[in-house]
Amino acid sequence: MNTKQRLHNAWHCIINSYGQVFFSKNPVFAIILFIVTFFDLYAGIAGLLAVILSNSVASLLGLSKIKIREGAYGFNSLLVGLGVGIYYQPGVEFYIILLMVSVITLFFSVTIEGILGKYGLPYLSIPFLLGIWTIIIATKSYSALNISERGVYNLNDMYAIGGLTMVKLYEWFNNLAVPESLRIYFKSLSAILFQYHMFAGILIAVGLVYYSRIAFLLSLIGFYTAYYFYLFIGANLNELAYSYIGFNYILTAIAIGGFFIVPSRRSVLWVIFLTPLIAIILSSTAYIFSYFQLSVFSLPFNIIVIMFLYVLKFREKDLSKLALVTIQQFSPEKHAYNFNNYMDRFGNLPWIAMKLPFWGEWKVTQAHGGQYTHKDNWKHAWDFEIADDEDKVYADTGNKPEDYYCYNKPVIATADGTVEAVKNDVEDNPIGDVDMKNNWGNSVVIKHAEKLYSQVSHLKKDSIKVEKGQIIKQGELIGYCGNSGRSPVPHLHFQFQSTPDIGSKTISYPISSYIVRDNENFKFQLSGIPEKDQRISNLTTNEIIKKAFHFVPGEKMRFETETDGKTVLHEWLIEADIYNNIYFVCQRTGAKAWFRQSGNVFYFTQYNGKPNTLLYFFYLSSFKVVSAFYKNMQLKDDYPLTVFPNKKWLFLQDFLIPFFKFLKAEFTLNYKSLEKGKVERIVLESSSAFGRRKRVNDTFRFSIRLTPKGIEKLEISHSGKTITANRKF
Amino acid sequence: MEKQRYERPIIKKLESNMPNKFGMRTEYRPMTHIDNVGVKDLINEHGSPLFVISEKSVRDNIRNARKAFETRYPKVQFAWSYKTNYLDAVCRTFHQEGSWAEVVSGFEYDKAIHNGVDGSKIIFNGPDKTEDDLEKAIKNNSLIHIDHLDELYTVRKLAERMDIKAQVAIRVNMDTGIYPMWDRFGFNYENGQAWDALNKIMRSDVMELVGLHTHIGTFMLSPNAYAVAAGKMADLAIGIRDKYGHEIQYIDMGGGFASQNNLKGAYLPGTDINPTIDDFAEAITSALINSNFKPEKLPLLILETGRALIDDAAYLLGTVISNKRLSDGRRSTILDIGVNVLFTSFWYDHKITPAQPFTQHTEDTVVYGPLCMNIDVIRENISLPLLNKGDHVVIQNVGAYNMTQWMQFITLRPRIVMIDLEGNVHVVRERENLQRLLEFEKVPEHLKTFEL
Repeated sequence: MNTKQRLHNAWHCIINSYGQVFFSKNPVFAIILFIVTFFDLYAGIAGLLAVILSNSVASLLGLSKIKIREGAYGFNSLLVGLGVGIYYQPGVEFYIILLMVSVITLFFSVTIEGILGKYGLPYLSIPFLLGIWTIIIATKSYSALNISERGVYNLNDMYAIGGLTMVKLYEWFNNLAVPESLRIYFKSLSAILFQYHMFAGILIAVGLVYYSRIAFLLSLIGFYTAYYFYLFIGANLNELAYSYIGFNYILTAIAIGGFFIVPSRRSVLWVIFLTPLIAIILSSTAYIFSYFQLSVFSLPFNIIVIMFLYVLKFREKDLSKLALVTIQQFSPEKHAYNFNNYMDRFGNLPWIAMKLPFWGEWKVTQAHGGQYTHKDNWKHAWDFEIADDEDKVYADTGNKPEDYYCYNKPVIATADGTVEAVKNDVEDNPIGDVDMKNNWGNSVVIKHAEKLYSQVSHLKKDSIKVEKGQIIKQGELIGYCGNSGRSPVPHLHFQFQSTPDIGSKTISYPISSYIVRDNENFKFQLSGIPEKDQRISNLTTNEIIKKAFHFVPGEKMRFETETDGKTVLHEWLIEADIYNNIYFVCQRTGAKAWFRQSGNVFYFTQYNGKPNTLLYFFYLSSFKVVSAFYKNMQLKDDYPLTVFPNKKWLFLQDFLIPFFKFLKAEFTLNYKSLEKGKVERIVLESSSAFGRRKRVNDTFRFSIRLTPKGIEKLEISHSGKTITANRKF
Repeated sequence: MEKQRYERPIIKKLESNMPNKFGMRTEYRPMTHIDNVGVKDLINEHGSPLFVISEKSVRDNIRNARKAFETRYPKVQFAWSYKTNYLDAVCRTFHQEGSWAEVVSGFEYDKAIHNGVDGSKIIFNGPDKTEDDLEKAIKNNSLIHIDHLDELYTVRKLAERMDIKAQVAIRVNMDTGIYPMWDRFGFNYENGQAWDALNKIMRSDVMELVGLHTHIGTFMLSPNAYAVAAGKMADLAIGIRDKYGHEIQYIDMGGGFASQNNLKGAYLPGTDINPTIDDFAEAITSALINSNFKPEKLPLLILETGRALIDDAAYLLGTVISNKRLSDGRRSTILDIGVNVLFTSFWYDHKITPAQPFTQHTEDTVVYGPLCMNIDVIRENISLPLLNKGDHVVIQNVGAYNMTQWMQFITLRPRIVMIDLEGNVHVVRERENLQRLLEFEKVPEHLKTFEL
């Protein structure tokens, strides 16, 4: 590491320690916080020193570089530094104590992290509490330390800083016609950094809006809930107004409402509900702590947030209703947009992908809750038959099973599994007859996972090729469609169930990646429950598309674009991180686009970088691609709003995202043509539509040309301009 | 009420309904319309004789065939056998239905390209591929099915020179229990020729073995032969996988499925005894599924079915020129359809149906064509209703091979029309005329004039 890099690194360690106080890694917000701490010069210096000291010690001890850089080990020391800086007069003795207390706070941080980390819980500002309480009690007997009087006579301080003008300014500012509650709100905000005046609060509020609209909104919600609770319950409003405690509500609101939990209506309701609990804990703990002449500082916030997160982890159902943030992105907005988008796209996808249990196109003649037999306990089942273009299911007269198209057609395993039950000796019925004694006829039950079995029934007698206990692969032949059991005409009965017996109660479980045909129109279903009269088939892979969208880490892609007569080379590298996330990284701009490939579908999941790189356009153009070619097939999907191009509207949406979404970012892909020529080409046309509600304000159009070698050309049209990127193989 | 038709008086021996060499009396309904278009109108408009192709039947056939295979096997591809009928209209109907092209000569190859088929979707079969043809095929990534070692060497040489990896397969012939065994095309499975060729390909850097091809015979009446062949092909493919770790992409089972036509010498009608496409599908797919391929590694199954998809989709309309009594007392009818346009009458007892109403009376008849040649016999024996001069007949199941093997001999080749799905009639090939023929001829200067 050279000096420049070292300095850069040190800068991050320090600045992030400031941001972390508000759960932020936003540098601008951090700088604002940094400035605010220097409103009390000595406290500011003490805070900065504490950060530097504890980060240096952490670094010397060889603690995690990533965590130090994130400020995870600095922010508690910062708070302790600010606290003691406010309390005591600076001096040599003071700075020695500051060093000690920084180190002890660091130790507390690591220790508490060790304890709570096991439970997947954050340590918040507990190290700060332990640090400052320790030092306050310990220093009671240290006569060399002098209590600071700066906070007491603050007009004197003002005069010392800026003379009479400053005092006047201060007076004018304090007399501004700001509603009382708002005044308390700003002061409470500033109290987080041991300041206690409105100006600091306003500065922090501005920074907070800049960092996160949701966090700002939550801070208001948390604070005002508390304010009105105090009024309602008749509690001492001075407690809120004149001590360093109002921020407990603010921090809890941000933590619960959007930082550790994905922002949603539910999270906001919980913030409102938890606020009185904080007030109660605050009053009771304050009473106890007063015996030790200690302030409770952020104790109520720590207790409530940690307990609540712990409780949530014990839930057994509805985990997505009040979802915990699994990958911390240090932005409530990102949590909301990405989580909602993830749930919309992947939330309902089943763990095990089930294929249709046949080859070719069949028709659903009885679906879930069908009118004949799919009722009550057996309502989640399908009957399939083969129909011709005239919708007939048999040729000739239909008087014998052989006349039926589906009769004697292969039945295959829907997914990998073990054969659990086989019945193979029921006679096939003549047309029209039903065998009520052997209701299910010849059947096979396959176990795919615990509590997940599939059953096929009415197979042809002696046609079953598998045996009980046999391990079977997806797509392997099980037997042939027949007319045994309660089956007046040949058909295939198919159901999922949670127990291994033939004819168990059915469960609803979706089929993955199938095609629904309606005359010449094809619709792709990533996952769904086939409906009555649909003509469905398993997806047939198109090797060209599959190959073009198959990317291997280490691979490089080069494109050339021409702008103003100048040729620009874009080089992307495909990389994988330790968490098995795969992404493109643009060598020139550093932009990254994450993607995943599952089965026959390629997805982009996230983009990080400037909204004008070629990689951004590639991300938009190929947001979701199914490796199959059915002419005029259309795919739709929604982008996460993080890529919304109009930032002004996004700013407004940020405030509202916990409640509703009014912006839309839609992706559409059309399977346009198979181009004829010496080499086969496939052209996919996609578009991104960004807008508000039903209006579309901004549209990007893309054309992606594929050859057997891969993606050959990408064309982007936006507001009358066209960019053409040619692949350099 | 329509005026009753005149039918000539006949004297007929009473028979006890035994099948005899004149065939069974099965044909008693006139065929007045094809896809709701009147036969009479067609002849009035387009002349006689006239080939009529039903687009609906073509599409029904290929869809039915696809359904038969696709519901039994996960990956199926049909390739239209050009030699069976390479009329552009027919080929393009098949291509619209998703079929690739299967060609057996440079001319057919060019026709497929002209029809807009992508090079990589043309299967190039046959024993005679010239260097020029092969060069084109290699350049276009076409699938070259090698027929003999000399061709293998040529492909290798050309691919080396062009520095393009040729996409090749070999044609394999084998004993499938039928007689006669076809062994003139491709490499024999049993005697090791096939492995010899495969080894040569696998050791070459300029050839990519993409598939295996077989074509066990034509107008096959035994689906089981296909099951045997498919089993042997699967063994070969798995052998290659085990020996070279190379997985071939497809197995091409060729064609040869019988249509519903009546083969000469068969006692019972083809509709009753010939296997259906479902029977063939069942045999082939069962053999492949039950072979040692893993379910997810099953190769693409290519079928080059020609005849079974087109035969019953075309009709030949003709007109009675005259009735005659032969010396032995047999009745003969002369049609304006000769063997030069109905080439398949050498193989089949074509079904001939009058196009106008008639009574139940029939007479054993010999049907001749209009050519002044002794070989011009359309049916040697047929039990036909009593036809008059000027009556029309419809000959069925003529879609395969006639429109490619016909010739201009004594008479010129007639017009071909296609009836589309809405019942509109389109001329898809014009009738020949003298002018057209003369265009090809050149008369040396000294022969131009003469005096008689």
